[in-house]
Amino acid sequence: MKKKLAMVLVGTMLMTSLLAGCGSKGEGTNNGGNDGELSGEITFWHSFTQGPRLESIQATADKFMEEHPDVKINIETFSWADFYTKWTTGLASGNVPDMSTALPGHVVEMMDAGAIVPLDDLIDDIGRDKFSEKALSEGEQDEACYSIPLYSHAQVMWYRKDLLSAAGLEVPVTWEEFAKAAKALTKDGVYGCSFPCGSGDMMATRFLNYYVSSAGESLLTEDLQANITSDAAIDGINFWVDIYKNCSPKDSVNYVTLDQANLYYQGKTAFDFNSGFQISGVATNSPNLVDQIDCAPLPKIHEDDPDYGAETSNIPMVVWQNSEHPEICKAFMKELYEPETYTEFLMATPVGMLPSITGISDTEEYQANETVQKYAHAEEVITKTMDLGTAIGFEHGPSVQAGLLTSQSVIENMFQRILVNGEDVEKAAQEAEDELNELFSTIQ
Amino acid sequence: MKRKVKVDYARWIFVLPAMIIVGALLIYPIFSSLYYSMTTKHLIRPMYDFVGLANYQDVLTDPDFFKAFFHSIIWTIASLAGQIFIGFTAALCVNRVRHLKGVYRTLMIIPWAFPSIVIALSWKWILNGVSGFIPNMLVQLGICNELPQFLSDSSIVFLTLVMINIWFGAPMIMINVLSALQTIPQDQYEAAQIDGASKGQQFLHITFPHIKVVVGLLVVLRTIWIFNNFDIIYLLTGGGPADKTMTVPIYAYNMGWGTKMLGKSSAVTILLLMFLLLVCFIYFAIIAKWEKEEK
Repeated sequence: MKKKLAMVLVGTMLMTSLLAGCGSKGEGTNNGGNDGELSGEITFWHSFTQGPRLESIQATADKFMEEHPDVKINIETFSWADFYTKWTTGLASGNVPDMSTALPGHVVEMMDAGAIVPLDDLIDDIGRDKFSEKALSEGEQDEACYSIPLYSHAQVMWYRKDLLSAAGLEVPVTWEEFAKAAKALTKDGVYGCSFPCGSGDMMATRFLNYYVSSAGESLLTEDLQANITSDAAIDGINFWVDIYKNCSPKDSVNYVTLDQANLYYQGKTAFDFNSGFQISGVATNSPNLVDQIDCAPLPKIHEDDPDYGAETSNIPMVVWQNSEHPEICKAFMKELYEPETYTEFLMATPVGMLPSITGISDTEEYQANETVQKYAHAEEVITKTMDLGTAIGFEHGPSVQAGLLTSQSVIENMFQRILVNGEDVEKAAQEAEDELNELFSTIQ
Repeated sequence: MKRKVKVDYARWIFVLPAMIIVGALLIYPIFSSLYYSMTTKHLIRPMYDFVGLANYQDVLTDPDFFKAFFHSIIWTIASLAGQIFIGFTAALCVNRVRHLKGVYRTLMIIPWAFPSIVIALSWKWILNGVSGFIPNMLVQLGICNELPQFLSDSSIVFLTLVMINIWFGAPMIMINVLSALQTIPQDQYEAAQIDGASKGQQFLHITFPHIKVVVGLLVVLRTIWIFNNFDIIYLLTGGGPADKTMTVPIYAYNMGWGTKMLGKSSAVTILLLMFLLLVCFIYFAIIAKWEKEEK
């Protein structure tokens, strides 16, 4: 009797749970109800920690949630440095978002770990031909696109017009002219150019990459081995060591991205290398200098060398494999590319974030922006450079090695050993190359 | 005839939540680290192999590990000595203050009350080699000819970090020593004065014996905290320049979160744990001896 009763109870419980399962599906915890309406909660991690960009993304999310009342978007922001730690540790514990921004180097690691999903349907939906092929290829694996570029920018040389003019100097075209000008302008509390090599960042790798790219080479060989001991790399190391010794604050041996940018923002450096983000930084910190800054293409080794781009960043978004609602992520991403929304987002940092899709920069709304008009020359230089470059180490296509090249601070530590311990340049370069190759061997 | 033993489950029910929490937060991480230290566990990749003691062998043959270990030892000894000296002296001074003792005590605890990220970034700003307050003040006062580079000059960067750590940790020592000082019966001092004991003799034979166990426990706790300190050094110098301030916790962090080799990183933390357990064993033996002497 007792056995029968227990069987009836278990049977009833099983039936109840099955029915409950059917009921909940119908009520929309999944993709959406029968009417196709989106329903569910997603988490979006992004690295737009600055005010206007943060507000713009939040406003788009609010608008999206208004249009889709059953959708909830939780936004969490992290600096780029924190973001890397956050997703790598999150992946180990299963605590990753539904969608996020990323850096191209991260995307390769994410693809390698099988952590993100292809976005070809979304790209086709927006219009594949609107995106630059090069930008899309940065997130490509086995003929599928795993990331979608949100905005783009490129590294160029920024200078102070007033300081150059007061010293009777022209905007340098070659590295030699650059060094001469930087040394001449190092006086009266202004440094010609700061050379940053703080560990935990990739600034020294970036600076060395400018020089190596100007020689038509890469920091990675075609077979994806480190290339720090080539003639161009050794010349580049010597060049930046000279700049550090003669034109840079000594503290810059510890500088990371923000420390470096702050010096230019505050008018304490005559030259710097960055994207159009310099404009908003200077406008915020030293409004009196906004008329005195402009940018030019990166210096070359010889004046008649062809134009080149050393580093183009196509900042992408990705959808994570763990997401229960990829359809919401994709719909929200699509919303971000709506011309009005997209222009508003880009205008949060005019000229800093340049459109990754065609048909935006020539619109009346985009061109009406005061900063875009004022820095039209800078935008032209950056846009031209953007088409010529790739992410660091992506010259031979996206690879995990390229990510390791910039994320392990090996080149930064090499420069520190040279500058602080006085280590021989060629010996330090060989050690750095060996260290990188050993790291690369761990991913084979 | 067998006697039926009555098992009291109530006590187990009461301690079970605490045991689960301790198990989850203490025992599990230690054993998982121990296990991972013998594998090729990677932060991102799901697959890994068992490699026995190979990670320990790699770490113990890495000269950078020993460099970091040496830095950690110097960092701990210098910071601890400085914190105890300043904290002890401050406690003796505040103990003699008659008026506004609470105000002084509160003011002196301020460094300890701030989160270490605020402290690290504030010092980074104050010591900035271009616009920092202290370097510029030293130049303006004519003490230095050029801006001193506290955080990048390899000859002073370690000392700078130690000084900041002393400033940060001394208030905690002060508060604990002060509490111990206030438990000493005043009549012992009065009796000593009647017997003609000097101030030094009073300190040596009354004050110190009363507080030495408290100081001993503080030394144990501070040794572990200082040795494991990560945030202040990482935020101020990241272990640089040129590894001049690289300590074992930063070495382990770079291994686990930089190169993502969690297996090797776990081996470093297990070695660190074993070393600290050994240090604690020695400390506790000394404290037990003191307590025995007191009895």
